[in-house]
Amino acid sequence: MTPSFQIFRRVSLALVCVVALAPVTRASVDDAQSFALQAAEPYVKDGFQVREDYWGGDLGVAEKKAVRQQLFKGNEYWFWLGTEVEAAKVSVHVYDADGKLVEQPDGWQKGHFAGAHIIPKNTGSYFVIVEIEQSPEERTHWALVYGFR
Amino acid sequence: MILFAKISKLSVALVAGLSLWAQAAEAPKHVDIKQLSKKVDDVVVPLPNEVFGALNKLGGVNWREYVRNDKGSNFTERPRIALLLGAVIADGFIAVQAEDAPTVKEIGARVLALAKGIGVGGSITPHAKAITDAADKRNWVAVRSELDRTQNSVQQAMNEVHDEKLSQLVSLGGWLRGTEVLTAVVNKRYSEEGAELLHQPDLLVYFENKLQSMPEYNLRLLLDIHAALLEVKPLIDTGDAQISPAAVKKINEITTRLGDAITKKS
Repeated sequence: MTPSFQIFRRVSLALVCVVALAPVTRASVDDAQSFALQAAEPYVKDGFQVREDYWGGDLGVAEKKAVRQQLFKGNEYWFWLGTEVEAAKVSVHVYDADGKLVEQPDGWQKGHFAGAHIIPKNTGSYFVIVEIEQSPEERTHWALVYGFR
Repeated sequence: MILFAKISKLSVALVAGLSLWAQAAEAPKHVDIKQLSKKVDDVVVPLPNEVFGALNKLGGVNWREYVRNDKGSNFTERPRIALLLGAVIADGFIAVQAEDAPTVKEIGARVLALAKGIGVGGSITPHAKAITDAADKRNWVAVRSELDRTQNSVQQAMNEVHDEKLSQLVSLGGWLRGTEVLTAVVNKRYSEEGAELLHQPDLLVYFENKLQSMPEYNLRLLLDIHAALLEVKPLIDTGDAQISPAAVKKINEITTRLGDAITKKS
């Protein structure tokens, strides 16, 4: 076996692995989204329009991610976070541009679901911070959706 | 025994649930945003109807005045189609605010034609039909959701074929049309609350950066939009100070000019 054939074989094997794993990774973030949407479902009856788009990825335990969000005074927003890892514990909180916690006290955290509620006092940028607090997985997929009314 | 087993399982689940609840760590009252800055995603571009909803709550908006029936020109350049597509979807949200069913249906058809022109028509066909059906039933909540799904499907289809830049132009087209209408409404009847809705400096920076990353398109219109964003930035990035009536008027002039350039062939 020539060295170039060995390299070719290794590269091909790596490519096959990447192609085979890619849909699985995507599927997991999509799964996380379906849990986030599940958390949002009861709020639709209360007049919240849930955005089709969502934000997601994967995080290690105690790792945080911030999503910058333009919010408008006069609207009311809920952010819902979910993961498909049922033994995980996640949290979501909303801060203003100065880093001050600005959410309503009725936010909640129930295992692999969490919700944060904000009625912005000003129009501008806010930071939605998501965290995987506990998880049996090394990396945990998460998805964030939001709704407004 | 079966009943006892069920009760026992339920109790365990309840205790586990309550203990999880109790363990919920209290969120810190302050965080250092700069420390998190490396982990901050790009700003999320709001839908035009997010700002229209907030504006509507201030009262007194005659949305019919802002409904646009002009279908716009037919373009062959994909960036121009993408910008127009975003603007037309924003027009859809305006027509919904005005509860104008015929215009909503026309917009559904126009969105489909533009999506086909850009090669993503397949993903839009069911949404265009759903928009028409919902408009016939005057189910405005459903039309709003379908317009959102339409934009999302168009952008996902673009992202899947690595046309992320076109996807960003769809967002930009929608944002410009939304800002044009927002400033027209506030300019007509100025209020500090209405003007405050223009306070979107991070969105401007976001679009500026995206436009700078598209030199390959080499379109005069994109250069004009970039220059206009630089002109708008100091007018809305006012810190704690209010956005003045003169600034609102100026932004309306700029976005109206860009809106015309997006819809018409020069």
